Amino acid sequence: MSELLKISGLRVGAEDKEILHGVDLTINEGETHVIMGPNGAGKSTLGAAIMGSPEYSITGGSLIFGGEDITAETPDKRAKRGIFLSFQNPVEIPGITLSSFLRSAYEQVTGERIKLFAFKKKLQEAMEILQMNPEYADRELNVGFSGGEKKKAEILQLLVLRPKLAILDETDSGLDVDAVKTVSAGIKAYREQTGGSLLIITHNTKILEALTVDRTHIIADGRIAAEGGAELIDEVTANGFDKYVSGGSL
Amino acid sequence: MSGLNILPLPTFARLGVNFVERDAAFETEKISVPAGTERQIIQFVETDSETSVTIAENAKLKLVQVFTGRCASVLKTAVADNAQFGLIQLYLGGDTVSEIITGLNGYKAAFAASIGYDLGAVGALDLNLVVNHYGRKSTSEITANGVLRGNAQKTFKGTIDFKNGASGSKGSEKEDVILLDESVVNKTVPVILCAEEDVEGSHGATIGRIDEKHIYYMRSRGIPEDKIYEMITCARLARLIGRIGDEEAKKRIYSILGWGDEDE
Amino acid sequence: MKEKTQVADVDRAFYDFRYDEDEKNFLDSGITPDIIREISAEKGDPEWMTEFRLHSLDVYSRLKMPQWGPDISGLDMDRIVAYLRPQKRMQSDWNSVPDDIRETFEKLGIPQAERESLAGVGAQYDSELVYHNVRKEVAESGVVYTDLESAMHDEHYAELIKTHFMKLVPPTDHKFAALHGAVWSGGSFVYVPAGVRLDIPLQSYFRLNARGAGQFEHTLIIVEENAYLHFIEGCSAPKYYEASLHAGCVELYVGKNSTLRYSTIENWSKNMYNLNTKRATVAEGGKVEWVSGSFGSHVSYLYPMSILNGRGARAEFTGITFAGEGQNLDTGAKIVHNAPETSSYMNTRSISKSGGISTFRSSVVVNENAVGSKSAVSCESLMLDSISRSDTIPAMVIKTDKADVGHEARIGRISDEAVFYLMSRGLDENSAKALIVSGFAENVSKELPLEYAAEMNNLINIEMKGSIG
Repeated sequence: MSELLKISGLRVGAEDKEILHGVDLTINEGETHVIMGPNGAGKSTLGAAIMGSPEYSITGGSLIFGGEDITAETPDKRAKRGIFLSFQNPVEIPGITLSSFLRSAYEQVTGERIKLFAFKKKLQEAMEILQMNPEYADRELNVGFSGGEKKKAEILQLLVLRPKLAILDETDSGLDVDAVKTVSAGIKAYREQTGGSLLIITHNTKILEALTVDRTHIIADGRIAAEGGAELIDEVTANGFDKYVSGGSL
Repeated sequence: MSGLNILPLPTFARLGVNFVERDAAFETEKISVPAGTERQIIQFVETDSETSVTIAENAKLKLVQVFTGRCASVLKTAVADNAQFGLIQLYLGGDTVSEIITGLNGYKAAFAASIGYDLGAVGALDLNLVVNHYGRKSTSEITANGVLRGNAQKTFKGTIDFKNGASGSKGSEKEDVILLDESVVNKTVPVILCAEEDVEGSHGATIGRIDEKHIYYMRSRGIPEDKIYEMITCARLARLIGRIGDEEAKKRIYSILGWGDEDE
Repeated sequence: MKEKTQVADVDRAFYDFRYDEDEKNFLDSGITPDIIREISAEKGDPEWMTEFRLHSLDVYSRLKMPQWGPDISGLDMDRIVAYLRPQKRMQSDWNSVPDDIRETFEKLGIPQAERESLAGVGAQYDSELVYHNVRKEVAESGVVYTDLESAMHDEHYAELIKTHFMKLVPPTDHKFAALHGAVWSGGSFVYVPAGVRLDIPLQSYFRLNARGAGQFEHTLIIVEENAYLHFIEGCSAPKYYEASLHAGCVELYVGKNSTLRYSTIENWSKNMYNLNTKRATVAEGGKVEWVSGSFGSHVSYLYPMSILNGRGARAEFTGITFAGEGQNLDTGAKIVHNAPETSSYMNTRSISKSGGISTFRSSVVVNENAVGSKSAVSCESLMLDSISRSDTIPAMVIKTDKADVGHEARIGRISDEAVFYLMSRGLDENSAKALIVSGFAENVSKELPLEYAAEMNNLINIEMKGSIG
């Protein structure tokens, strides 16, 4: 299996404060990785840094994607290479419909024009998987969407854009049981349709049930504190993160 | 002084917002909407014009005005009991001095104004909107959304004036301006005057660049920055144009803007 | 010490007011170059100051009255004596201050305040500073706190004053700035050397006592690099029936990476015309913080201005204005962004009651070179009845695309629901409303030292209970 993303010695800071103190992590094509860890450990920061968020600055180390150094690239370039981040709190953008936004994004990412009718069809198919009301296509992007609807709209974009690597940042948080099932079905569909890789940041094991996890990483205090296979998930679920946090348990 | 667009309550003279010097030869027009009726009027305003509008009890008027040239415009409207006045204005370049004075004279008289502007690279606009709340439970809602590029200059003065006796009235005003180039000049003066306790008034303004979070979100989906600006600025006008229920007028506006079909 | 406030009917037709007709007769009385020379000689001004006064008088006679703002036609300069000679020269020992003056100050609690928590106190009685003292350790750190007249004659500061005095607020700024330049008297000079951080505030207390007196004190504060100062100015005056004028001037120079906090609770008597000018310039990385409470005066024009001249300079303005019966208080702030990455924040509240008029007036100007600057303004107004007025007139002028400017304002009334809730817990209606208004004023009270916050809440309670009469 060939290497898709190689993170080496990554240091990331925000507002003069370092959050990640040298993270190494490699994801191969088609693999599913899970990141767990206590609140404030730097999990979301890692996802944001891979996407190129302007809120964080990379102060050391590198990001290699598909063999190329993307450490200094803008988010749109990274997206065109096939990186996708499902946001924990997607922004509301008034005036632009979900459909026209996603069509623009599709054309940018694929580099090809698509006729309105053909695009609508593609969109409807994806919406069916997520049991979304087709009317959402013509609503303004995320405006007035509930928490669950926003998460579904993120997965909808994942299904339409078909990236090589999807980072899901707490996509399951704040969702009820049914919504978690729907979102999981969407993630499974993405895996089946594209064979793409997944990096799942989560607190919750429900969303992982339908997936085969290749590798688990525990992040604590801005470092990878432990790594293992799927079995590590059960271990932390049972025992918590205490032993990974500096200063031991409280 | 022979000023137009005089701010109802003058402020620091150095800001240059108290009035505009402009000679104008107004053509006058009267519009009246009889009690209980509904009308929609679309105007493409290209010369100096003064329009007096009366909207009688329980009547509704939807007025769309599109400005493109160098002109001065005065729009004075009296709104009676339970009457509604919906105003859509688009400023698409040129050099316009525009005054909108609305008297909410009647009980539950209502005024909703939606203003959009994209003045192009050299356009100028001075807008003086005044809503006088006289009637009890009268309501006003004003939104202005615009884009300034190149050397465009814009002054938006919006006054909500709650007169004594206008109890139970509500007024709100919101302006959102995107500045695209370094030599634009934007002036915003949102005024609330109040002589009545039992009212609710609010105004807000955001001026500047597109929210960084929006840009990041859209970029993370592969859309480059210049395209994002284009999408967001077009979206502002498109939203307003979408509310004009007349296909001919829409087509004419699209051609002024140089936009193709709606789909593209 | 309760005295009845008497204020003639206020002309409410201020919309239409123009000064053209009155202007000829207005403010001309009594002030001639000869009188200026006399004042100057008596004060022992250096020559440049005499010249400055005469120049200011010339500017004053040429400038027009402001063409906006509340009516000040009731201000009769015939009755205002510009300069009152002090009974005695400045004292540094509290016990040698004349008895009647000392009594007045003791009523105001000034010496106690000094002993308890303040680094230094300057008190001005009528036009001359009568008492001045700075705690020993403060003086040892190199901080200077004295009156401007003495400092002008001190070889260490003479030049500093000459190069800073009315450079920020030139006499040409407006008519009352020119008047100030001509007749100014008393006030404070504060100098904080580089690297000194005063963690206890300096305080000055002004009080007008003579009938029809004018007060034209000048405050000049220079804070060098990497320093910190909190300066508290308090104002009060007994009540008389004749109109009085206050046309003071405050100039603040905030050095690189320094912070200056300037707090004022103003409670002038309700026949006072308060036409005060306050201005700060802020160097790179520096910050000015204004905390301002306006409760007194008949008419106020007050807009402290912050000029952000250095990269990354910041300004914060937190204010409250309470306009009661017979008051027309036009207050707010002005900010000018003149350098990259500067930021400003304005947060104000205003309250109108019993026929009072409060106007919030502001301007935010972001100039061409102020790229990457940010400004946020938030103002809220409360109308307590329908015989009062509350107007809000902010202006924003933006000349660069690389700026983020936000503004929000709200006007409304006390919610019946909140009053009902408090009454259901046993408060009477007035107390319930007073409590809500105090909460409304919390943006300012939480920024003030405890004893000042208490004084402010007391003022609110007095206003709310209508027990001034």
